[in-house]
Amino acid sequence: MTAALIEIEDLWYSHPVRGGEAIPALKGINLRIEEGEYVALIGANGSGKTTLARHLNALLLPDRGVVRIHGMDTREARFHPQIRSLVGMVFQSPEDQLVAAILEEDVAFGPENLGLPPAEIRQRVEDALEITGLKEYRQRPPHLLSAGQMQRAALAGVLAMRPRCVIFDETTAMLDPAGRHMVRRLMRRLHEEGLTVIVISHFMREAVAAQRVIVLNKGEIALDSTPQQVFSHPADLWALGLDLPLAGRLAIQLREVLPDLPPNLLRSNDLIAALPPPPFPVKAGGGSEPDRPVLPPNGFIRVDRLGHTYLADTPLAYQALEEVRLHAGEGKVHGLIGSTGSGKSTLLQHLNGLLLPQKGTVAVGPFDLNDPTTDLKAVRQFAGLVFQNPDYQLFEQYVGDEIAYAPRLKGEHDSLRETVRMAMEMVGLDFESFKDRLTFTLSGGERRKVALASLIAMRPRVLLLDEPTAGLDPRSRSETLRSLEKLRQQGLTLVLSSHHMEDIAELSSSLTVLHRGRTLLDGAAEEVYSNVSLLEEHGLEAPLVTRAAARLRELGWDIPRCILRIGDLIEHLRRNLEAPHA
Amino acid sequence: MHNFEFLRMVNIGQYLPLNSLLHRLDARARIILYLVILMAATFTAQPAGLFLALLIVLVLLRIGRIPLNFALRGLLPPLPFLLILAVLQVFVSIRPPSALPLFEFGILKIYASGLVSAGMLLLRFCVLILTLSLSSFTLSTSEMIHGLESLLSPFSRLGLPTHDLVMVLQVTIRFIPFLAMAAERIAKAQASRGAEWGVRKGNIFQRVRQVIPLIVPLFLTSLRRAETMALAMDARAYGSTPQRTSMYTMQFQFKDVVAIIFGAVSATAILILGI
Repeated sequence: MTAALIEIEDLWYSHPVRGGEAIPALKGINLRIEEGEYVALIGANGSGKTTLARHLNALLLPDRGVVRIHGMDTREARFHPQIRSLVGMVFQSPEDQLVAAILEEDVAFGPENLGLPPAEIRQRVEDALEITGLKEYRQRPPHLLSAGQMQRAALAGVLAMRPRCVIFDETTAMLDPAGRHMVRRLMRRLHEEGLTVIVISHFMREAVAAQRVIVLNKGEIALDSTPQQVFSHPADLWALGLDLPLAGRLAIQLREVLPDLPPNLLRSNDLIAALPPPPFPVKAGGGSEPDRPVLPPNGFIRVDRLGHTYLADTPLAYQALEEVRLHAGEGKVHGLIGSTGSGKSTLLQHLNGLLLPQKGTVAVGPFDLNDPTTDLKAVRQFAGLVFQNPDYQLFEQYVGDEIAYAPRLKGEHDSLRETVRMAMEMVGLDFESFKDRLTFTLSGGERRKVALASLIAMRPRVLLLDEPTAGLDPRSRSETLRSLEKLRQQGLTLVLSSHHMEDIAELSSSLTVLHRGRTLLDGAAEEVYSNVSLLEEHGLEAPLVTRAAARLRELGWDIPRCILRIGDLIEHLRRNLEAPHA
Repeated sequence: MHNFEFLRMVNIGQYLPLNSLLHRLDARARIILYLVILMAATFTAQPAGLFLALLIVLVLLRIGRIPLNFALRGLLPPLPFLLILAVLQVFVSIRPPSALPLFEFGILKIYASGLVSAGMLLLRFCVLILTLSLSSFTLSTSEMIHGLESLLSPFSRLGLPTHDLVMVLQVTIRFIPFLAMAAERIAKAQASRGAEWGVRKGNIFQRVRQVIPLIVPLFLTSLRRAETMALAMDARAYGSTPQRTSMYTMQFQFKDVVAIIFGAVSATAILILGI
C-alpha cells in the first residue's frame, strides 16, 4: 500500500505559555488525506484549524502522535526541505508573507532556498506568474500591490516550489469579492490539475465548493463528511459556532412559504435556479402595495465633487478620489461600497477631518471642512472613525484604559467609569471581566470590539466604520451588526464601508458605490440596488435576497421592484399566496 | 496640508523605475560607482574637490533622468540640522594663530577660515545626501541586494554568513515603507480619538510628546508582522539547505567597465583637487 499524502495519528499539541500552563490546542486528531483531495477545514475561532494546518508542513511539531507527509515523519529535520516543498501554505495577511523587494524575486525565494540552478528557478517563476496572472506586475514592489494581487503573489511563491498540496489559511478573509473570486478560481484550477487543496475559511460557500468538509471544535474533529452531509443539520452547526452558507439560510426561510423548494440548496446559483413560478396566475397589484416613493437622504453629511491626490507633486502621485459625491441622512445607516482601492478609506477620512478637501466640498453636521478655521478636534469628536485593523488602534495596556483614553482627554473624571461601562456594554463586552484584560492577549474579534467601544466612549454623533465585518467569523459578524443596529436606534448616524454588499445591505437605508475613486451610484438603497446591471458591470453583486426577488418577479410573482430584507420577501410571497385567485 | 503623509518623508529607499543608461548598468557597477564618489566626497579637503563632486553628482542625476527639483527636495528635511552644525562650525573651527577676525561682536569672533569650513560642511553634506538619494532612485533594493551579495560572495569562503547578512538587510528595507504606513495609520487612529495629531497648531514640544504613544503600537504591530514573516519564510524552506542559489546571473558588460573607470577617474580627480 502506498503512503497517503497526509497521515495523522493521535496528534496532541499544546501552545506553550511562558511561566504558565500550556493551552491545549489539538486533542487526539486522527486524519488521512489522499493525493488530489479538495478539503475544507472549518470551525469557530480558536478551534485549532491553523494549529492543525501548521503541523502539515512541519512549522509545528506534535507533542504526541505522528504526522507523516508521504510517509516522512515531520519530526525528522532532514525531511523538512522535502516536506516544505511538498506542502505549501498561503497565509491570511497578504503583506506579511512577501519577503523580497520586488514581486518576481519573491516568487523565486522558495526555489532559491531549495538551492535549484538559476535556469530552473527562472522557468518555475515564469510558470507560477503565468498561472496566477501576475506577469505584468513582476517588477513591482510588494507594498504597491493590491491585497488581492499580494495574495496571488504569495500563492505564486508557493507554486514555484512545485508542491503536491497547497493549504490556504484564511487566504480570502481580507480580500474584496473580485480578489476572493480570483483566488477561489485558482483553488479549483489547482484541484483540477491534481493537487491536493486544503482550505481553511470562515466563508461557508468556500466549504461548499470542497469535496470533503472537516469541522474542528475545541481541538477535536467534530464532523468529517461531504458538504451536503455537514450542512444538513443547521442546529448542530450553530452549536459549533458555524453557520449555513447564505444561500442555505435563505432557502430554509423561503421553504416556509414555498414548501416545494428542494432541500439542501447551498449555492446561490442553485437556489435561484430552483425558485418556482407561482402556483396560479397572480394579478399584478393585487397582493402588494404600490411602490413607495423613494426619498433621497437629507444632507446631514454632504460631500460634493471631492478630489484627492496622494503624494501630490512627487513622481509617485496618485489620484485616489475624483468628483466624489456622498449624501447621508441623520440617524440613518449609510453604506459605502466598492472594491479594494476604490477610495473608500480615503473618503471616510475626509468625513472626520483627517484629510482635508483638496478639491470639492465636505460638510459633516454643523461643520464645514472647507473653512480653515474649523476646529478639527471638534470634528473628530463629532464623527468618530473606527479603522479596519484594530492593531493600529490599541495602544494602552489594559482594555479599560484603552476605552477611557478619549473621555480622559476630554477631561471626564467622575463619570469615567460609567462611560466605559456603557461603551463596553454597547459592543457586548462584559465590563467586570474585560476591563482589566491586557489588550494584546485578546482575540481578533475582541480587539475589534474594544476598538469600537473606545470610539463609542467619546460619545460621537456620527460613527464612521472602515470594513467593520471583514475577517470575522459568522458569529462575531452577526454580533457586530447587531451592536451597530443598537447604536443607530440611539440616534447615531453611521457610515459603514464594505467591499461586500451582502454585509451591510440589511442595515443601510442609503448607499454610495465607489469605483476607482469615482461615485458610481449615490442615493437611497432601493434606488441603488435597482441598477443591477450597472452593478454587475463593475464586478459588484446585489444582495442574494434582491437577486432572488428579481428572479421571482420574472417568474410571474407579484413582488415590488426592489427587496432588501428576507422578511419583506417572505411577507410579499405570503400575500401573493393568500390573494384571491384571479 | 500633508500632515499624515508619512510616506512622503521617506526619501531613501524610494526607487524610481526609469529607463536610463544608469538604470541599465550592472548593479555591481553602480554600487562601486556610487561608493567611490561617496568616499571621495567624504575625504576631499578643499572646496574645489567638493565642487567637482557636486558637478559629477548633478551630471549623474541628469544621466539617470531624475527630476532635479525632486532630488533637491530630499535636502530640505535635514537642512535645519545642517545649518545648526554649520553655525557651530563657524565658531569652533581651527584657525592659523596669525589670522585676524573678519567681524567681532563682543567675545564672538568670526574668522574667514571658520566661514570657509562651515560652507564646506554644508556643501559636503549636500553632495553626500544627493549621492545617497541618487543611489536609491536608480538602484532598486533587489538590485542592491543582489549586487551586494555578489560583491560580498568572496567573504563567504572565509566563513562569514554573507547570505544571512544580506537577507537581514533585505527584510529591513522591506520594513521601511511598512513602518511609515503603520505610523501613519496609528497617528490617524489616535487623532480620531482626540489626540492632537494634524490639528493646525502645536509647538515642537507638543509634537515630540505626540510621538511617544505611537511607539508601543508600532512595536507590537512590527513584532507581530515579523513573526508572520518569519513563519512564511520557514514555510518556504528558508535555511533548510546550506547552499542558497539565485535566479539572477550577473554579467559585466563594456558599459559597466566604462562606468567603473569613470567612477575611479572622478574620485581621483576629486581627491587630487582636494589636496
